[in-house]
Amino acid sequence: MTAGSRTAEAAGTRRAVPRAGLLAGGLVLLAAVAVVSIGVGARPIPPAEVVRALLHFQGTDDHVIVRDVRAPRALLAVAVGAALAVAGALIQTLARNPLAEPGILGVTAGAGFAITLGSGVGLAAGQTGQLGCALVGSVLAALLVAAVGRRSPLRLVLTGVALTAVLNGVALGMRMMLPDVFDAYRFWSVGSLAAREQAPLALPLTAIAVSLAGALLLSRALNALALGENVAHSLGAGVGRVRGAALVLITVLSGAATAVAGPILFVGLMVPHLVRRPAAGSVPWLILYSMVLGPVLLLIADMGSRVLLPTGEVPVAIVTAFLGGPMLIWAVRRHGAGAL
Amino acid sequence: MSLRRSSALVGAVALALAVTGCGSSDGDKADSGKGGTRVFAADNGKIKIPADPKRVVATGYAVPAMIEAEAPLVGISSWKRGEPMMSKKDLATYKKLPKVAGEAASETNYEAVAEAEPDLIVIGVPAPVLGDIDVKRLESIAPVVAIGPTVPSAWRDLSRKQADAAGSLKTFDTVKEKYDAKAAGLAKKYEKALSGIEFGHLGAYGEVAKGTFQREFGRSWGTNIAEDVGATYYGKVKKPGPGSRAVSEYPSIEELPASLREADAITYTVNADGSVPPSVKYVMDSKLWKNLPAVKAKKTFPIRYTEAATYGQAMQTLDAIDTSFAPLLKR
Repeated sequence: MTAGSRTAEAAGTRRAVPRAGLLAGGLVLLAAVAVVSIGVGARPIPPAEVVRALLHFQGTDDHVIVRDVRAPRALLAVAVGAALAVAGALIQTLARNPLAEPGILGVTAGAGFAITLGSGVGLAAGQTGQLGCALVGSVLAALLVAAVGRRSPLRLVLTGVALTAVLNGVALGMRMMLPDVFDAYRFWSVGSLAAREQAPLALPLTAIAVSLAGALLLSRALNALALGENVAHSLGAGVGRVRGAALVLITVLSGAATAVAGPILFVGLMVPHLVRRPAAGSVPWLILYSMVLGPVLLLIADMGSRVLLPTGEVPVAIVTAFLGGPMLIWAVRRHGAGAL
Repeated sequence: MSLRRSSALVGAVALALAVTGCGSSDGDKADSGKGGTRVFAADNGKIKIPADPKRVVATGYAVPAMIEAEAPLVGISSWKRGEPMMSKKDLATYKKLPKVAGEAASETNYEAVAEAEPDLIVIGVPAPVLGDIDVKRLESIAPVVAIGPTVPSAWRDLSRKQADAAGSLKTFDTVKEKYDAKAAGLAKKYEKALSGIEFGHLGAYGEVAKGTFQREFGRSWGTNIAEDVGATYYGKVKKPGPGSRAVSEYPSIEELPASLREADAITYTVNADGSVPPSVKYVMDSKLWKNLPAVKAKKTFPIRYTEAATYGQAMQTLDAIDTSFAPLLKR
């Protein structure tokens, strides 16, 4: 344990019980929202029937819908919400920039570019192809940004912005020239959780689960880094090692989430802001709260995406954008600039 | 800008239009043929067209219909979706003809249309899409008749009208007679086998990314030719819309059991090469599909060439239906 983490831990001891209570309340809320979300859709299913389908599967149409369509979708919402929120908390802590979000590492642009290129050469046909292309593209883009900008947070942000601009420009040019590629890209470009139940999700979901555990393990070391590089050095923290590990985690979390659901931009920016005040400067609590609130927010947005329009679904990324703006403004007005 | 300078600019533009042939003068148009003119009722009104056109430009759904009717074409739009259903001869004609427009109506190349010097332009796009085309600009080149698709099964009347506008009814009627005879023969062949069976149809225009499937009812692309063979498709669209939306809908896959549970048998759209499109595969891979009574009873039938929009193409659809329905004769 580093000196920095001991200091932060001591400072947070007296708040540990209320924080733990808040976390427990959040977990109960998450479970309730998950059950309700499984009941909401084109064919309403009562919560009691949802529980029956999960615990005593009888193979009826309702049970098949719960087990094969909605439960995987809810699981995906939990995983993607947690991944994006924790990636956002990590990048904001690492960059010491409240406007940082996972896309700043070029993850979204890398995935979009890879899908565009993959569609052009016939590699991104079908869900598996798109998933593979998005995963490879996002990881390569993030690695490139991390390699060039690893020395300082400012350099990291600038490299990410520059690479994003280049990749977006080239991809846009390709899509303009190739209408079929544009057609393949347009559905992916608006993040959604619909119809992912048949996609090969085991690998990205496992990567997200392992990375979330890794983020928790790293969170104490990040407490020292949050105080600034010089302070972290003086406290004996291995700055380079911690920063490298955090970059790997951000890359895997946001890359896997973007690959399976497409770009959902607001969650990574918004959730860390909403939980920053109850976390009271503790990175471990910031990550824990993000891990719970991210899924809650995405599950609610996903329910909204299913019921907002009578004509069909609205992609969840549009709902999170509608929710995200007002919530961020509320957070700023409620807690002032200190919230950021 | 002063009034004098404005007048000079207007004069210069008018002169440029006249020189480049974009004006409305009749002087530069091609010969309208020997038979004079006639009035033709189209989507865009009653249009005076040559009675015996010699140089025709066709776009959209008019392309395969007019190639098949051997109309005197001098320019066409690209029509990739119809290529797999064209005969070798029609495909050769299609490839040889100059392309004056892309796949979408908005990709019309007005200069290329003018260069083709048509005496008639036949636009085969749906009425809402007509807004993407500068019809007035085309009318300055030659008379324009818009004959676009409505309900999918209306291809019979539309292709006849398109052939009529181009003065090519003779060839059209010959192909139609062949189709009618073949359909009647198959209807007789399957009369007993299809008796009492209520079909549902799974189309190929569902969107995997949205988790929807296309449910087609009678008179839709996937069903209208099978209906000529004697198949009965039950049900109707919950909220009918314009065009093909009057006979097909796009519900969530969660509504698959409610939509097709009552079907005794299900037909589904496949590609021209027999492969299953991703939107259909998505449905067929779901457990909800495997739970359907018709699927459990192994009464599912693939249909190729469901996008046929001419009698020649529909002959291939009849052959595909005959092959697919053959097992019904053994039951």
